[in-house]
Amino acid sequence: MSCTNNVKIAIEDLSVHYPDRVQPALHGLSETIEEGEVVAITGPSGCGKSTLCHALAGFIPEMLPAKVSGEIRIDGSSVWEDDPAHVATRIGLIQQDPDSQICTLNVWQEVAFGPENLCLRPEEITARVEELLTWVGISHLADRATTTLSGGEKQRVAIASILAMQPQVMLLDEPTANLDPQGAKAIFDLLGELREREGRTLVVVEHRLGPLLSLTPRLLVMDRGRIVLRRPTRRHEDLVALGLRAYWERLPASAQRREEMSLAVEEVSFGYNASPVIDRLSLRLSPGEILGVIGPNGGGKTTLLRLIAGLEVPKDGQVIRAKDLKLGFVFQHPHQQIFERTVRREFEIEGPITEEAVACTLREARLSGLVDVPPLSLSLGEQRRLTVATALRREPDVLLLDEPFIGQDRHNVAWTIAQVLAYRERGAVTVLVSHDIPLIASLCDRLLYLGEQAIEGDPEAVFSRLMAMGREAFTPDYWEGESA
Amino acid sequence: MISRIAYRNGTRGLHRVSPAGNALVLTGFLVVVLASPGVLVKIGTLGLVLLLTTLSGEQVGTFLRNIRFVLVFALVLFIAQALSVREGTVLFSIGLPITDEGLLAGAQMALRFFVILSASFLFVLVTDPDRLAQSIVRLGIPYRYGFIFILALRFVPFFRQELRTVREAQRVRGVQISVRSLSGLRRAIRYTFVPVLVSGVMRVDSIAMSMKGRCFGLHPRRTITRKGRWGPMDWVAAALFVVLIGMTAVARRFAWL
Repeated sequence: MSCTNNVKIAIEDLSVHYPDRVQPALHGLSETIEEGEVVAITGPSGCGKSTLCHALAGFIPEMLPAKVSGEIRIDGSSVWEDDPAHVATRIGLIQQDPDSQICTLNVWQEVAFGPENLCLRPEEITARVEELLTWVGISHLADRATTTLSGGEKQRVAIASILAMQPQVMLLDEPTANLDPQGAKAIFDLLGELREREGRTLVVVEHRLGPLLSLTPRLLVMDRGRIVLRRPTRRHEDLVALGLRAYWERLPASAQRREEMSLAVEEVSFGYNASPVIDRLSLRLSPGEILGVIGPNGGGKTTLLRLIAGLEVPKDGQVIRAKDLKLGFVFQHPHQQIFERTVRREFEIEGPITEEAVACTLREARLSGLVDVPPLSLSLGEQRRLTVATALRREPDVLLLDEPFIGQDRHNVAWTIAQVLAYRERGAVTVLVSHDIPLIASLCDRLLYLGEQAIEGDPEAVFSRLMAMGREAFTPDYWEGESA
Repeated sequence: MISRIAYRNGTRGLHRVSPAGNALVLTGFLVVVLASPGVLVKIGTLGLVLLLTTLSGEQVGTFLRNIRFVLVFALVLFIAQALSVREGTVLFSIGLPITDEGLLAGAQMALRFFVILSASFLFVLVTDPDRLAQSIVRLGIPYRYGFIFILALRFVPFFRQELRTVREAQRVRGVQISVRSLSGLRRAIRYTFVPVLVSGVMRVDSIAMSMKGRCFGLHPRRTITRKGRWGPMDWVAAALFVVLIGMTAVARRFAWL
């Protein structure tokens, strides 16, 4: 499975302009990536990181229509002159969302899919698939249906599927964004092994840079379609010096916090089919409180929000809500909560609203000037701010946030935090599900870990228990060098 | 409902038969119910379908529950036929006369419908779609078309989940959907199908990119690694096919069957 013929990538004055956008996604970008190099790319949302990955993989403009200029050469030959399927023999792209990468219905078949397209001999394909399934630790899943896998398992299958084609360069576009901390740690460990064992060229787009430092990457920082900083990075201090590690100060508890009960979960058990997800969980939520919920994929975090929102009915126990309690629920994927043709009408779903109120809310959400724009044409960050703003328009007593920070840059994260804190001061309860451990450690008054067991309490106490259980990836110390 | 009628990994009965063998068995069932004139042979065929379901490790009760909508349609067909056929001896009347020929015609049509659908669902339950697509390709059909079939199956659970999520999003935002008026219908389409369609289009685009990124379409042919081989269980399936064809011939000879 080793790969010895690495390639040099030369990007020359590359510009990419999508037809529906005013500003170009990439603007006169030039860079050279040497064979065997590890490059980490970071930067704010919408700065062009994913566009660069798609351009390198040959998907732009062939599959993602855009006006392009400049040149990308792989070992001297232009990417534009090749079909993406041909480019894929040398460059393998692993995307952010593991679900959207799976092409077949069975794990073994999924890993074999690429080599089969390369017309390799069946014996060679079988050998590659068996070796890779073992190496990435999923040999026990070989005959499983791909639809039954967890997010972490799917991402491992995606990595094995790309490795099976033995591309000389691997591009990874936020490969851990949808994974729980333990799953993310496993992927970072896998990348380290890949680097050590094969010396393969790795280009990794990441917001969380800390765990990548062991690979001694060359860091590229992007902003508004350009590379604004290039620097080898080895230590956490380098990230701090570059302002790439966000420190989230531990926030004091709200003065509005009161002992009365807004909502209680009493001895609640719930499962899908025969599999229990939540087992006799009890919780009590008081006004002015922020509860952080962490845990592995499939541990029941979203299920808990759904039970509180009344979208699921407990198998045992009950959820008790104060009379006339208003709920706001922000889903993980904003497009699933957007229904109307314009941003203004999106606000009108919640009831009549004046022009001034819409303008004021949009200004606060940094969406000014977008009042008559179709909401689904907004960027992911803008859609997220819109869904939070529309949820808050209901003035909920309980705000449920499901992974609101995925794919968000520091400014969007800071905006969301400001909304949560402002709401807390008005006596609202927030239940926040997130894999962003340092952020949740700084923001939340109380923590609930939902995994092999439920652990609830003061954040420090919960983290101590998790350390003792060997779940260090769920503690802020592990993510010491992380940026947001 | 649809998700319950999906392929399940198994090791017993028809699970051990290749897609070609299972297709042969399904063909046999279709021939019997379409070409035999009587009711008895159709009842026997239904019994055989349920026997094979059990032998394949599936519980008949669960299987029937999962296809209960087929039972309801079959019942509707039976009643409609019984009410509309006027020929024959009148047995009783419920406002409209019910004749012996009407009941027989209703039973014929309902059984035919039910056997075809239940045999088809059994086929789906025991046939690995990946291997079925490979079998289609081996018949000489270009592999791009074989994969359309796999992708269609890949999207069934996706659309079901998206639809559920969008309906829940409507609930949490307090959106009331009613289709009793034209404007309500328009709103339902915009609030339900547009978000699902947007998700679908996004997913189609990303899977198309993933397929290209895995060299799909690079060569006019592609390797099939796990070829379905014709094994001993396929000979059993072939024998069953012969039995079913024989049953059809006998049933046609003795029309009362």
